[in-house]
Amino acid sequence: MMKTLTSTLAAATAAAMLLGGAAAAQDKIKIGYAVSKTGPNAPGAGITTIPNYQLWIHDINEAGGIKLGDAVVPIEVIEYDDQSNTEELVRAVERLVNQDEVDILLTPWGTGMNLAVGPTFNKYGYPQMAATAATDRAYEMGERWPNSFWMLGTSTMGANSLAEVLTTLKGEGKINDKVAMVSVADAFGIELAAASRPALEAAGFDLALDETYPITTQDFSQIINAARDSGADTFVAFSYPPDTFGLTGAAIAGAYNPAVFYTAVGTAFPIYKDNLFHDNVDGVIGIGGVDIDDPKFQDYRQRHVAVTGQEPDRWASPITYASLEVLQQAIERVGKIDREAIIKEIQTGTFDTVAGEIKLDRNVNANVWWAGQWQDGDFHGLAPASMKGAVKPVAPKPAWKPADK
Amino acid sequence: MTAGRLWLGPLLILAVVGLAVVPIYANGYYLALGISMLNYVVLATAWALFSGPTRYISLATAAFFGIGAYTMAVLSEAIPVAAVIVVAAAVGVAVALVVGLATLRLRGVFFVIFTFGLAELIRQIVTWYEVKITKTVGRYIFLDIGQEQIYWQLLALAVLVFVVGWLIGRSRLGLAMRVIGDDETVARHVAIDTTRAKLILFAVSAAFMSVAGAVMAPRWTYIDSAIAFNPMISFQVVIMALLGGAGKLYGPLLGVIPLVLLFEVINANFPNHFAIVLGVVFIVIVYFLPGGVAGLYDRWRAGSIRLPVVATRDSAAPGSATLELVGLRKAFGGLVAVDDLDLRAAPGEIVGLIGPNGSGKTTALNLISGALKPDSGDILFKGRPITGLPANRIARLGVARTFQIVRVLEHLSCLENIVAGLAFRPQPLWGDAARRRGRELLDRVGLAERADVPAGDLTYIDQKRLELARALALDPELLLLDEWLAGLNPSELVIGIELIQSLRDEGLTIVMVEHVMDAIRTLCDRCVVMNAGARIADGPPSAVLAEPDVIAAYLGGADA
Amino acid sequence: MIVVDIIVAGLILGGLYATVALGLTLQYGVARIMNLAYGEFIVAAAFGAWWLFTANAISPLAGLVVIVPLAFLANWLIYHLLLMPLVRRARSREVLEGDSILFTFGLLFVMQGVMLSLFGGQLYSYSYLLVPIDVIGTTVSANRLIAFAFAIVIGLGLYLVLTRTRAGTAMRAVAVDPRSARLVGIDVPRMSALAFALGGALCAAAGVLISMFLTFSASGGVLFTMKALIVVIMGGVGSLLGTLVAGLLLGLAEVATARLIDPGLTLAVNFAIFLAVLLVRPTGLFGRPSS
Repeated sequence: MMKTLTSTLAAATAAAMLLGGAAAAQDKIKIGYAVSKTGPNAPGAGITTIPNYQLWIHDINEAGGIKLGDAVVPIEVIEYDDQSNTEELVRAVERLVNQDEVDILLTPWGTGMNLAVGPTFNKYGYPQMAATAATDRAYEMGERWPNSFWMLGTSTMGANSLAEVLTTLKGEGKINDKVAMVSVADAFGIELAAASRPALEAAGFDLALDETYPITTQDFSQIINAARDSGADTFVAFSYPPDTFGLTGAAIAGAYNPAVFYTAVGTAFPIYKDNLFHDNVDGVIGIGGVDIDDPKFQDYRQRHVAVTGQEPDRWASPITYASLEVLQQAIERVGKIDREAIIKEIQTGTFDTVAGEIKLDRNVNANVWWAGQWQDGDFHGLAPASMKGAVKPVAPKPAWKPADK
Repeated sequence: MTAGRLWLGPLLILAVVGLAVVPIYANGYYLALGISMLNYVVLATAWALFSGPTRYISLATAAFFGIGAYTMAVLSEAIPVAAVIVVAAAVGVAVALVVGLATLRLRGVFFVIFTFGLAELIRQIVTWYEVKITKTVGRYIFLDIGQEQIYWQLLALAVLVFVVGWLIGRSRLGLAMRVIGDDETVARHVAIDTTRAKLILFAVSAAFMSVAGAVMAPRWTYIDSAIAFNPMISFQVVIMALLGGAGKLYGPLLGVIPLVLLFEVINANFPNHFAIVLGVVFIVIVYFLPGGVAGLYDRWRAGSIRLPVVATRDSAAPGSATLELVGLRKAFGGLVAVDDLDLRAAPGEIVGLIGPNGSGKTTALNLISGALKPDSGDILFKGRPITGLPANRIARLGVARTFQIVRVLEHLSCLENIVAGLAFRPQPLWGDAARRRGRELLDRVGLAERADVPAGDLTYIDQKRLELARALALDPELLLLDEWLAGLNPSELVIGIELIQSLRDEGLTIVMVEHVMDAIRTLCDRCVVMNAGARIADGPPSAVLAEPDVIAAYLGGADA
Repeated sequence: MIVVDIIVAGLILGGLYATVALGLTLQYGVARIMNLAYGEFIVAAAFGAWWLFTANAISPLAGLVVIVPLAFLANWLIYHLLLMPLVRRARSREVLEGDSILFTFGLLFVMQGVMLSLFGGQLYSYSYLLVPIDVIGTTVSANRLIAFAFAIVIGLGLYLVLTRTRAGTAMRAVAVDPRSARLVGIDVPRMSALAFALGGALCAAAGVLISMFLTFSASGGVLFTMKALIVVIMGGVGSLLGTLVAGLLLGLAEVATARLIDPGLTLAVNFAIFLAVLLVRPTGLFGRPSS
């Protein structure tokens, strides 16, 4: 067994050596991340996280590097695949810190994954820009780990934004006071549903249907039938992308035409319109949103397509890129890799990003689009209405047209 | 081997101490690597405790691991960590017992997929409960437990797994498991309560997995059902254990260490092609390393068992017949294999059970030994009903048998085959006593020279001898022989007949199904002739074999 | 009304499950290859259909004509080149099962890795014939209905092949007892290769059909493998009828649970039914009792 230990260490050391020696202080900046390239989380990471990391790295390399004081320092990137496994992720981050001695860590994809590495980021004092984690305990986490920043806000914000949109429409007499709500039985769906119950009640709505369905459900016809039978004018699904596509498909196939049709993650994905539902997307409300007319967003969109070959989604993609911009600007303002100072700067500074101006409130980004709508072929932000570029919601949604293309 | 033991003990202790001080010197990454390794060592070794000897491939690892992790998540703020770990083990055991009772009769792939389904069912129910009752799916664990503590806890757990595994391997339970793994029917016929043995080990294995889950959980801050019940855990554990070799206690260790390192090296060097490289490596392993790493050392191992147990046996109570069958009936679908059969065997009598092929003789033996349950009728052993009792209970009462198609435990040595017969009878023999008695029995059937040869390497005839010796190891009062003399050459036949005669002279009652008519005439006091499931004649061999009905039955049978 | 809803939707979903599992019935039931990469083959076929449809405007139904024979060939080659050495080496059925589990586990990763590098990790989906169709008073989407019809045709065709042709009879004999099959002059390795390839072709057909209405990704194959395994085992290894009945039963149960009890319990109920069936019949609905 002693022999085993020695050979274990030797092999691991050899493995680590293959990655290259220690970093020389400031002639380059080492950036490392572990993200789900394979496994169940791969689709999420593949749409939102990985392309934006690629774009950001591309942009920095274009510029020659990150500005540290007077010098422009090139970056070196080290990446791992966490295989959608929390334990692999924790180990990969430990490796990035201890073996690769990276200067800056980027975050993994997803709420659970970001929480899993929270203690590790905190232990080593690296800023954690959690751009794909939505939890109602964001403020509590920010307090517990002052180095962690929760860029996607909280579920309650999401619930309030949805209630805001529905209240507007009810005030205009477009919808009745009944809502049919379903949610995916995963942390994301359940938290949003839990936050929505009081928010909708406070706004004078009645939940005519309140159900969950398991992740990986493949048939949604019965949920759509139940929603139809509930007599609600508003259909709300806190869904994940495959379910968002499945629910919309089932609604079209079932000729179910509520005045408001809301699905969550995936609605703002480009393939929702381009590959799947084409003209039928008009009027669909979903999670996320952007200020389409903002030239900075348009510029970002074009660069994203040019570099990664795919459109950014209209929710977490710009936020992910913006969080990298915040990080970069904080580094450049500090002028050196002093992680404590960088964290301080992120906590207190104001940053100009593709997602507008960002100023964090107790480590949480509260300026996030939580509801948007497909209007005239593009996904516009609806709420919070206080956001720059917010458009007014349109209802009722036009009836589905059978798509036989 | 014995000399090796002397330095092995201190060396192991030294190794554990060496591993225990790792956190003092290693940085966070090596510690994390150590945690991953220890976690898989515990899981894979615990898995192999049950699945190695029984060859039941269980995919329920994730279920028990998840149960432990959830127990920690639910209770971490309410009670001390040590108490949580105890609760986790208890919950794991409870679930394993309930599940085991229901499922351990499944075999092969049905068991594999069942355990997978079970893990998924538990995950779905936990999710549903959280959604409906607690209205939140994720749970947060904020415990002030660093990597070092988790490492030490896992190391302690790993040591415990090995100690428990080692103790089980030396115990009768360990032998029982290996017999079950080789041939479950034989296991029951040497009086092993197979259900109980499997259940105990399944529960022990589950307890370790649950505790591993509880220990690991605080590391991730956040637990939801997808994380805790990740089915990949089950698959990786199976792969690691199989690669290392699940048949030996140290086998899984030999799989875990290279695989964890391999995953790590591949991921470090090919982060974008992890899947492809891993897959190719795997396929190469299957081609070039059949039987796992431990298989390479297969020849090194020789089983040895010692525990002091000495026992004697009292003689049977006289009076009623040793065996009495009354109106016994068994049908398979529309075919009535045994139809209203009556049979009596007095103490010390040899009764021949003869008849054409397919007349129901073997079925009758299977009913007596408990391999099959009769549809109706009674079986009395020494005047007491044993109808419908499980085979292991009947064997313990003193009924032993051989099989028509010989069933030795191929992977166990000849001596171990006999010890299996000695170890589970009502007055069990174990350790040196068992080995001494085992050699005597081997000598009796002429296999003294072959005690340490794996039974699978014997010739067919020798395997039959071994099987008889194993039956005798039970020290039975009733011996059921199913065509034991078939296939012997004339000189072997003479020896075989003498052997059976000597058994009768010792007072054993024998019921023998036989086609060798010379042997029937020589040995049997009485013959029962069966045709189409029913008794058509009963009496001394010479008289019975001359009856017209019997002759017709044999000729008719030959025609068919 | 609700009853009609449930029966129609349940049959269609159940038909989908049965279709997904048919190929595995052959691969495992006859060829004894527990193919853990089965779902990856389904996803690969779905990618093929997606590519034909979006880049070449070839409808998925026409795509079947291209993809299914290709899959047959590919699986036949895989059996001959990669699995044959393991089959030859195996001393018993158990050893082959163990080896094939480990081998296909590796194959799973290779295929997943290749698809990841070709298509990335994103979700893929396209819409084809997403039109409501009225079936005895309840609406069903045309693409699911067509997939169901095709599944019936394919299942029926397979049934005829197995019961009416010499090769089919030989395959059934191999499924029941390879040793005896050899004794009556059946070329067992050849039949196993044929069964594996035919199973692969059916698997590809299922992949093409489901791509019309399900979202898929390079890493999503495991889900299909598991669904197929559950259906095959519940039906009884090697039994076509069992696979069909098990699939339909699970589909009906899932839909009925979603409608009448709680959509959150659909998968729990499905697994519970599966476990209950095995408890009552340890070798599946139509499995032969083990001796």
